Amino acid sequence: MKGRIFKDRLATAVLWACMGTVLAVLGGILVFLIVRGAGALSWEFLSQPPRDSMTKGGILTPLVGTVQLVVVAMAFAFPVGVLTAVYLNEYAAEDRFTRLLRLAVRSLAGVPSVVFGLFGLSFFVIFLRFGSSLLSAGLTLGCLALPVIVGASEAALKAVPQDYRDASYAMGATRWQTIRKVVLPAAFPAILTGGILSVGRVAGETAPIIFTGAAFFTPDIAKSIFSQVMALPYHVLILATAGTNIEETRGIQYGTILVLLLVVLGITLAGVIWRARLRMRSTR
Amino acid sequence: MSRIKFEISNLNLHYGTTQALKDVKVDLPENSVTAFIGPSGCGKSTFLRCLNRMNDFIPGCRVDGRVLLEGTDIYAPETDVIALRRRVGMVFQKPNPFPASIYDNVAYGPRLHGTTARARLDEIVMQSLEGAALWGEVRDKLHSPATALSGGQQQRLCIARAIAVEPEVLLMDEPTSALDPMSTARIEELVRELKTKYTVIIVTHNMQQAARISDLTAFFLLGEMVETGPTQDIFTSPVDRRTEDYITGRFG
Repeated sequence: MKGRIFKDRLATAVLWACMGTVLAVLGGILVFLIVRGAGALSWEFLSQPPRDSMTKGGILTPLVGTVQLVVVAMAFAFPVGVLTAVYLNEYAAEDRFTRLLRLAVRSLAGVPSVVFGLFGLSFFVIFLRFGSSLLSAGLTLGCLALPVIVGASEAALKAVPQDYRDASYAMGATRWQTIRKVVLPAAFPAILTGGILSVGRVAGETAPIIFTGAAFFTPDIAKSIFSQVMALPYHVLILATAGTNIEETRGIQYGTILVLLLVVLGITLAGVIWRARLRMRSTR
Repeated sequence: MSRIKFEISNLNLHYGTTQALKDVKVDLPENSVTAFIGPSGCGKSTFLRCLNRMNDFIPGCRVDGRVLLEGTDIYAPETDVIALRRRVGMVFQKPNPFPASIYDNVAYGPRLHGTTARARLDEIVMQSLEGAALWGEVRDKLHSPATALSGGQQQRLCIARAIAVEPEVLLMDEPTSALDPMSTARIEELVRELKTKYTVIIVTHNMQQAARISDLTAFFLLGEMVETGPTQDIFTSPVDRRTEDYITGRFG
């Protein structure tokens, strides 16, 4: 009898310890970054472009560039990903071809990001002649986000009770009407989660954008989708490895990473709030 | 003698190699309540779903035979199934309102079929909720979530939703089996009212319910329609031995 209670308490303690470890790692990283990088943050930092071979000034151009990349990537990956999931879950018959399709999508998740970069270079930059641009880099990042979005959307659609579809069909709805008016709205909060998760991934990747659109330096923020962009992760990479004053720009480097984190956090938070609102509206 | 709404003959249904319905033949009269009774798994729900072709969604399901809705075979290749489901509505065993407001639930059907004018939708929603004996309870909270209603109210909402598209027939698949006795009584009362406007076909595993509310009863056993006739006759003087055994509780 005592043995069981002891094991139960031990299990609880171990689980708490695991969670504590995760929090400690997360907290440690955050604290480290804030301590090293907070000093560099200021309004000037965020609103001014880099000057003096990027040893001074701000990170406006990389900041805007990252946001632009995320927008292009999501504009491509979100609709394509969600509709692919709709096809897989609502239209496709459960046969060998469909299983192969699912396998292909899942495998995409395991592809190293540098491979995406090379693919983007061959296909978007060279073959489609988009050149090294916001468009090429954004689309490449979109490909990276696709498996995450498809996976989350499929799970979301599967979770919608069949009851809802039955009720819709029984009233004389077509399949597309049922999907558009009942299934997708019901699945949307969970689909949004997939989108939120992929934003974080997309904003922080460096390898896919090096060959496809990120520039060492651009004098101004990109005004056209065919221009090159600067980006926060790439900016840090350059300053830390190839810049003219690696040690002196440490502050800027940490500050840049902190800003990247805050941008991702900001978008995530906005997504979470939107999702919470959606959930509140439909159930209580 | 009322008109015949559905004329079914030689109906056979197979799920792959298993035969679920054997040579079913029955006429379902208009503006009355017909009850399908029988033990679990005997095919009554499967048969019900043939009447609005909901079995089409089950892969490997094959239907042979004739199902005539006012003279037209609904399984003919050129049938507009969408239009059919508008004429023949369905209420399910477990109440299944959409995760949306009461208003949007009832307005769903009319919106599907093209009604968008707010005033017209308001009217339809009110009439449908009245027709389902729910208007008084929800008139002040039409835009609150449907899922906040009680089970019995949710089922009446599903009935309102089904009648909002103005069907001719209402198929009800054990509509009260998930509800408490009070809600059950209210819905049975509702069914008696509904038959003045619609043809109601109700599947129930509760014999007393069938005896209470139906005009015609059909007894199913192992995929066969064993006997059918006026409810009084079925329950007081059944012809087939199997019917008698079921009615008297020897099995089921």
